[in-house]
Amino acid sequence: MTVDPVLDLFFERLTEVPPAIVWTAWTDPAQLKQWFTPAPWTTVACAIDLRPGGRFATTMRSPEGADMPNEGCYLEVEPERRLTWTSALGPGFRPIAIGPNLPFHFTATILLEPHGAGTRYTAIVRHGDQASRDQHEAMGFHDGWAAAFDQLVALMTR
Amino acid sequence: MVRRVPHQPAHLDPVFRALADPTRRAVLARLASGPAAVTALREPHAMALPSFLQHLGVLQRAGLVRSTKTGRVRTYELAPQPLRAAEAWMAQQRGLWERRLDQLDRHLERMHAAARTRKDSR
Repeated sequence: MTVDPVLDLFFERLTEVPPAIVWTAWTDPAQLKQWFTPAPWTTVACAIDLRPGGRFATTMRSPEGADMPNEGCYLEVEPERRLTWTSALGPGFRPIAIGPNLPFHFTATILLEPHGAGTRYTAIVRHGDQASRDQHEAMGFHDGWAAAFDQLVALMTR
Repeated sequence: MVRRVPHQPAHLDPVFRALADPTRRAVLARLASGPAAVTALREPHAMALPSFLQHLGVLQRAGLVRSTKTGRVRTYELAPQPLRAAEAWMAQQRGLWERRLDQLDRHLERMHAAARTRKDSR
């Protein structure tokens, strides 16, 4: 799986907890609500239809009490191995428009591998914009983008 | 403490879109070494002036460059703020996911401990 150093986020962690428990934490709404949103924000609602094209929706609540719904759909569901969802599509793979509250879409993949009695889990979050949906542009996007960006940021933060 | 949502300021969209093109990235890289006039900027690119000016327009509308006109010469320079904003946004997303996974790890340990307790009491 390719990871773009600028647009993608990559996390890898080891836990003593077996894959079955990690999988449940990601796929049981009651459990997901307990940890999904960084405090002091909370997850107040969660809907999971665990199949490709099925709905994955969460509602986050700010400390001030403002609710922010997030819609998405699953793309890959391989129990205890791989879970992928995207904010770019709703249930049934129906595209979700980019709007004022959602200028970017992302696709996240969680990979689970047994590690001794525990689990190695990896989270990859890919970000894009509307332009990057076009394949040609996406290729140009990756080519040289990182180097150019690094250069510029280095220069500007000097 | 970051209280803001895992959310994305709309003004970054044109920034990422502007950066999604090799010609425009090359222009930014050139401007990174100092301001330059349109003629000098266009020189390395085999491109008609109207097309090249369109690229400059995209960069300017995204706020990545500024231009000034002296007589008949238009000079471009880099405007650092939007790039910093793009970088800050990525850092914010990284922070969000780090904290999310920290919470997951603590949750998993609780679930694991509960499962072991159930097994022991059987």
